Amino acid sequence: MALQIIESCVNCYACEPLCPSKAIFMSSKAGHFRINPNKCTECEGDYQDTQCASICPIEGAILDANGIAVNPPGSLTGIPPERMAEVMAELQAH
Amino acid sequence: MELPVLNETPAASAGGCSSHSCGSSDDQLGHLSDEIRAKVENHPCYSEDAHHYFARMHVAVAPACNIQCHYCNRKYDCSNESRPGVVSELLTPEQAVKKTMAVAANIPQMTVLGIAGPGDPLANPERTFETFRRLSQDAPDIKLCVSTNGLALPESVEELSKHNIDHVTITINCVDPEIGAQIYPWIFWENKRIKGVKGAKILIEQQQKGLEMLTARGILVKVNSVMIPGVNDKHLAEVSKIVKAKGAFLHNVMPLIAEAEHGTFYGVMGQRGPTQDELMDLQDACSGDMNMMRHCRQCRADAVGLLGEDRGDEFTMDKIEAMEIDYQSAMEKRKVIHEAIAEEMHSKRAAKAEKAASHADEPKLNTRPVLMAIATSGQGVINQHFGHAKEFLIYEASPDGVRFMSHRKTDLYCSGDDTCGDGESVLQRTIRALEGCEVVLCSKIGYEPWDMLEQAGIQPNGEHAMEPIEDAVMAVYKEMAAAGKLDESNAEQRATA
Repeated sequence: MALQIIESCVNCYACEPLCPSKAIFMSSKAGHFRINPNKCTECEGDYQDTQCASICPIEGAILDANGIAVNPPGSLTGIPPERMAEVMAELQAH
Repeated sequence: MELPVLNETPAASAGGCSSHSCGSSDDQLGHLSDEIRAKVENHPCYSEDAHHYFARMHVAVAPACNIQCHYCNRKYDCSNESRPGVVSELLTPEQAVKKTMAVAANIPQMTVLGIAGPGDPLANPERTFETFRRLSQDAPDIKLCVSTNGLALPESVEELSKHNIDHVTITINCVDPEIGAQIYPWIFWENKRIKGVKGAKILIEQQQKGLEMLTARGILVKVNSVMIPGVNDKHLAEVSKIVKAKGAFLHNVMPLIAEAEHGTFYGVMGQRGPTQDELMDLQDACSGDMNMMRHCRQCRADAVGLLGEDRGDEFTMDKIEAMEIDYQSAMEKRKVIHEAIAEEMHSKRAAKAEKAASHADEPKLNTRPVLMAIATSGQGVINQHFGHAKEFLIYEASPDGVRFMSHRKTDLYCSGDDTCGDGESVLQRTIRALEGCEVVLCSKIGYEPWDMLEQAGIQPNGEHAMEPIEDAVMAVYKEMAAAGKLDESNAEQRATA
């Protein structure tokens, strides 16, 4: 049982001090924060909600033990994913 | 006939009240106590007068944030961007101190160091306060400021008051949680992400509590509000009233910046920002209740230099590492320069007051107001070539005098026009930015822009180079009045043209 931070992390440091297990570290190899799977407890026994995933501002940057985004597209910004796709396609066409 | 200049009320005006300045809130510092005036008169972000002379810098030491705003996107970083929350290089407190001292030694008119992001400074208390601690020790001649969304403010007041910080800016966009929910999708509070109205309510309570705690301790508070048409534009006059009642000394209403390419909620959803007119109208509506600030440049979280300029490229970490700074001798040099600037500001202010007083009894013109755009690189004079101006200061001339209204950037979001271009030339964009102005005053101007400005109904004027801005604006206004260009019937013609 462990969460995972992937490469879309923007290194904002918000999660790092919140981790009750001190499982989050800056990986110079990856170039972003990562979670040590041996230390991560998914905050069990400490908090009701996983702390890193509760403050992370980037949708999709934190995955649960099944590899599914804890904060899926649209869940944090409120931008409907289809609207985002439409606007991005429009911008690229220019 | 001479007309008074409204923006500048002399510091010693407490005894009398000239008919021109009384009841006017155009001088944003005019209503302050002498003590507060003394604190802010060399602060470029608080004093419209000072921003012509003194420079500021931000150090980007605070990456984490505890809320999400719909005008912000934490993924974004572009060196061509100029807006809050954007930085190119995150610094450690140690690097930030080194950078600050390097800038202070090389740009002696830099008086203010602010921490403004790119996240929320108080959501990064260790990094923020470590920077302040070291600076108040090593560079005691630099004023320290911080800006915050307010969520963590109440718990930080104690620590803030320990340092050399006498100015705090709180961004308050609303006092109504229903409106707040349309601006803030979530906050992180007591180990939970809280969405919607509930989150907005907590944020608003914390902001108001923090504001009260700071003013109770005598720490100066400026309130920033982002004007979002259709969301909080009608609500901000009330916000202004409330924050003033709680002791904020300045209110700064800023326009929303929202473009689809920023990837923000507002940008992607097509929320528009206010027009120049809407912004000015709201600032005027709020100014009845509050000292309004009109010269804010919505700086990046790592900006360096005078407001409106960014010399950050001269002070990247690799360049700073190579610099040898003797701060003691720099501090002595800075002191001499600051005193000279203060003297210049005081003598200019006194001269203006004298001029205004000597013409107080003259008959008033009965003409319509005119907006004029000024190209200046500082010192309060017209000293910039039209083609070099990255922004223009907008002044209004009227029978009541001259007042500063706003600044307009010619390259509002981006300077990389090759990559982001939509076919509009820089000159066309500049002319569009000057909409509503009838005159442009600059030191020099080329033939091509001259013709294009004239075609757009804007009269270029290079005859007042190196003259003080207010004097020149009034001189041109009187010429226009004498030429009969300012009758009300003409105004109607213009409006229907």
